[in-house]
Amino acid sequence: MSQDKKGGIKRRDFLKIIGVAGGTAAVAGACSNPAEQIIPYVIPPEGIIPGVPNWYASTCRECPAGCGIIVKNREGRAIKVEGNPKNPINVGTSCAQGQAMLQGLYNPDRIRSPLSRNDLGRLEPQGWDNAQKMLTEKIEEVRKKGGSGRIVFLSDHNEGTLGNLIGDWMSALGGKHLSYEVYSYEPLKEANRIVFGIDKIPTYNIDKTKYLLSFGADFIETWLSPTLYTRQFSEMHGYKDKSMGKFVHVEPRASLTGVSADEWVSIKPGTEAVLALGIASVIVSEGMSVNGGGGFAGLLSGYSPEKVSAVTDVPVDTIKEIAKEFSSMQPSLAIGGGIANTSTNATETLVAINILNYVAGNVGRTIDFGNALTLSEVSTFKEISSLVDSMSGGEVDLLFIYNVNPVFTLPKSLGFEDALGKVPNVVSFSSFMDETTEKANLILPDSTTLESWGDFIPDGRVHGLIQPVMTPVFNTRSTGDVILSVTAQLEGLKGRYTQVSYYDYLRDSWKQVWTSVTGGGDFEAFWNAALENGGIYRDTTPVQVSASGNISGVSFGEPEFTGDGDFYFMAYPSYKYYDGRGANKPWLQELPDAITTGVWDSWVEIHPDTAKKLGVKLGDFVKIESPYGTIETQAYVYEGIRPDTLAVMIGQGHTSYGRYAKDRGVNPLSILPVSTDKITGSFAWLTTKVKASGTGRHAQFVQTQYTTTQHDRDVAQMVTLTELEHGLHQEEHEEPDFYPPVVYDRYHWGMSIDLQKCTGCGACITACYAENNIPFVGKELVAKRRDMAWLRIDRFFEKSDNKAGFETRFLPMLCQQCNNAPCEPVCPVFATYHNPEGLNGMIYNRCVGTRYCSNNCTYSVRKFNWFSYKLPDPLNWQFNPDVTVRDKGVMEKCTFCIQRINYAKDQARDKGRDVLDGEFQVACQQSCASGAIEFGNLKDPESRVSKLSHDERGYRVLNQLNTQPNITYLKKVKWDKA
Amino acid sequence: MRRRITLLSVPVLTLAIFLGLYFFDNAESSNKGPVQPVRFSHKIHAGSENDQIPCQYCHSFVDVSPNPGIPSVKKCMGCHTHIAGRDVEYDFGGTTINLQQEIAKVREFWAKKEPIPWNKVNTMPNYVHFNHKRHIKRGFECAACHGDIANMDQVYQVTRLNMGFCITCHTDNAKNHEELTHLKDCLTCHY
Repeated sequence: MSQDKKGGIKRRDFLKIIGVAGGTAAVAGACSNPAEQIIPYVIPPEGIIPGVPNWYASTCRECPAGCGIIVKNREGRAIKVEGNPKNPINVGTSCAQGQAMLQGLYNPDRIRSPLSRNDLGRLEPQGWDNAQKMLTEKIEEVRKKGGSGRIVFLSDHNEGTLGNLIGDWMSALGGKHLSYEVYSYEPLKEANRIVFGIDKIPTYNIDKTKYLLSFGADFIETWLSPTLYTRQFSEMHGYKDKSMGKFVHVEPRASLTGVSADEWVSIKPGTEAVLALGIASVIVSEGMSVNGGGGFAGLLSGYSPEKVSAVTDVPVDTIKEIAKEFSSMQPSLAIGGGIANTSTNATETLVAINILNYVAGNVGRTIDFGNALTLSEVSTFKEISSLVDSMSGGEVDLLFIYNVNPVFTLPKSLGFEDALGKVPNVVSFSSFMDETTEKANLILPDSTTLESWGDFIPDGRVHGLIQPVMTPVFNTRSTGDVILSVTAQLEGLKGRYTQVSYYDYLRDSWKQVWTSVTGGGDFEAFWNAALENGGIYRDTTPVQVSASGNISGVSFGEPEFTGDGDFYFMAYPSYKYYDGRGANKPWLQELPDAITTGVWDSWVEIHPDTAKKLGVKLGDFVKIESPYGTIETQAYVYEGIRPDTLAVMIGQGHTSYGRYAKDRGVNPLSILPVSTDKITGSFAWLTTKVKASGTGRHAQFVQTQYTTTQHDRDVAQMVTLTELEHGLHQEEHEEPDFYPPVVYDRYHWGMSIDLQKCTGCGACITACYAENNIPFVGKELVAKRRDMAWLRIDRFFEKSDNKAGFETRFLPMLCQQCNNAPCEPVCPVFATYHNPEGLNGMIYNRCVGTRYCSNNCTYSVRKFNWFSYKLPDPLNWQFNPDVTVRDKGVMEKCTFCIQRINYAKDQARDKGRDVLDGEFQVACQQSCASGAIEFGNLKDPESRVSKLSHDERGYRVLNQLNTQPNITYLKKVKWDKA
Repeated sequence: MRRRITLLSVPVLTLAIFLGLYFFDNAESSNKGPVQPVRFSHKIHAGSENDQIPCQYCHSFVDVSPNPGIPSVKKCMGCHTHIAGRDVEYDFGGTTINLQQEIAKVREFWAKKEPIPWNKVNTMPNYVHFNHKRHIKRGFECAACHGDIANMDQVYQVTRLNMGFCITCHTDNAKNHEELTHLKDCLTCHY
């Protein structure tokens, strides 16, 4: 060691010392953990064991279907929503919206305390006592003025105790209660009254049909009860015992429901009535009707196939073919509804569909009026528009807004927003700052479904209970409680409600349910059982109906369209956002649309010919003009839409509603006129003709799959029904392999996915996000193909000899857990390896991020964390504590919900046995309403997945590469019988 | 002379640092655990010469949950409503404390209905899912990993709880080859 004469340290020495010091610091730093604290309970809550999940049954309120849910709670936080197996509507399954309700609960943009508007017009936080006092004063002020109907409570469809309470409260205050649902299906109700004399929306038994004919009813997406009908549809349309039912969908656009059809019939918008009558006419004239057409024979004789074809653009052959199949494949069922047939003649269309069902003898067999939907009870559009009139006329002094967002969901031209300005006192109970709540003077945020007590009656069978699964995240209060405590302060109404809390009120109201159901006994036992089961379920008795031949008021006229553009404009409901309420949930925003695979935005679906004519291509901005407004959005060129129709999804285009929804996409409702159905006066959606033109602007169309074809690789396979009837040639031979086969001792986990059943709805994807702490990355990163979905649904449009000219195949793609995995040998650090139970393990803390595995993965299912994705508080409360939250630089992928496997094994070992078949489900399988996914132990020859792995339709994707996947796909079945 | 010292200083310093590190890291010999907000003595509560309260009386979830559970303040008060402690000096691992005063601290937390912010003693590396229940059901003593806590005043981490420690035990205790395969499988703990 040398020193210079001045006694300082030379550069070399300095480096040595730094080296030692730095090394020491690094070693010491790596070994010591940051100080952590363990905080015990002060008083331990009953029934909570840290580390062990609790499940609470409740009812989903994301749409009016009222599915039962069970919510997983860990240490006081709700972390996962699943379907309640006891509920007859969804039977243990759930949809993407239901899964995403957690992101409503933990939404960072929730209103965190009561707000009131101050003199400067700004909203400022208030304490609850003060806010309730303000409300009391306002009510008293309005009551002093006298007059009835000056107080209006506008809520969503809320059949049950809260609906009754609101109704009663309003009658006590001399006010009015209106329940508003965007999709209220009034024409359906009215058509049933006209034809069958029953003013109700029935339940359909799609599962019992052999032939389903849908006129625009998007039953897989939003129509009436999507999980129920998806499940039933899968029952009917799944391939079983060498047969399956046939499904024909009539709509101007091949929607998500439409692409699941064996035949998509493209029809001129608004002419469905004529087609239905034409089909009925053929059935009667060919002598195929069970009742000879009854009283309708005369009417039907005027609808010859040729005439009908000219009006509807549906070929004569198709009409005849449908008529033949509809009457021969019994029982059949025709359903109508959805936005696709809400022209000005919507009721007429549904009357025509009822006639068709009657003629084919389906009434009473596949339509159940005994189990009517309570959705039949919502306020009519006439009532809503007269509310708008009285609001603008200054006749409303106090308006309560509960769970609805009319400023967004009503067409701009109705003028709700302006009318709202004329109401001096607007009180919103919304927990989210949406377009309507933004305009309120007083906001009393309601606790969400997962934080409050309640009940909901969706139909005749189900009376669902809602129980809080955790304490409120923010300073919110359930609206029932607010009503009770405010009423107790009101002059003359102090004794109206004896209950102190809404919980007591609910229980008292359930005492009546209890008397009607059991007729006595122990109420506590009844109540506890109802809580445990998620409500009470009862059988309904079918109602015998007969069709009256007297439909004299119905004229079956031509639909009316406003605007002089070339294109019919279709604003269709979204299965992700429903009427827009789902748009603030990032899981739903990042869930790729099944058809376009687009995310985080809006688009207009446009036919290739039209696109050519307009000179636009994928991603070009198109300007759509109606007499009522203009929107501009990107084009998605899609052959599943008529050349004379443009379609834009409802739900985006929020100007408020939190960071995830705001300023994203366009709201097609803003350019719709207030056209109504001629008979019911309900809002008619499909009544506008618009002009469209290219704007010259282009941007990348952000989607998750940039191809629509399989490039001849045959990954999503199909087989025809005829081939299956003749028996498929079984090819199960051992591929020669350099390595000895892997031997499994007790468990060999495998999955099977039935492509015939998969509808592409994406519930599995959202369930996977929720279960496995998968981060959403936002539009900008999806554009760079950095989305993190472990499970994606590839969709392919294949050329076909069917009438549409193309067919759609959905292929859920996730890690195939290959027995001979290409990712494993390329990992330099053994972070991925084959586990002794057939899983392709992915050890996050071992991964150094070389990404070799993802380069070598045959199925592109490995995702790399390019960043550490930090969720804003309290969205991160949702994290599943049983799954590692991955960090920047780490590869990740599906491992068949290994945490669930380990949990099930742990539970089984406590019982001293092996895991039984069907004892647990993986997240995607659990959510799947169509039951397309099976999971289990391939080692057990009796397990369902074992049997399915040897199914004649079974194949493995890209098996020629000898990857030996543990997932068996069952080929989609093509209907090719004449 | 000065030159020689300089020459020697670097290896000596290096050796000293590494030796220090070795002893520092080898928890048993030097690290006596974090100082807790209440000088809670396991020795008094569980020690063989004292109260001999079984571990599971307080860590009651250890055989039903992956987490053993830390007793709630209510549980402390279950006894300490009646036991105020002697007003005596106590040698708490080298520090002198007054038993009564320490118990008074617990009562204070209870009166304020605040949890006691215990400092975590046994820290496992990240990205590991350890299930206490499985190990207890297999019949392992708490002491196998946690050491003789019953005779510690201030509790400290006895073993490093690193993967080598886990795997050694898994290898030694596997009943047969099949079990060994599963016990050495990464996905058993890492997911």
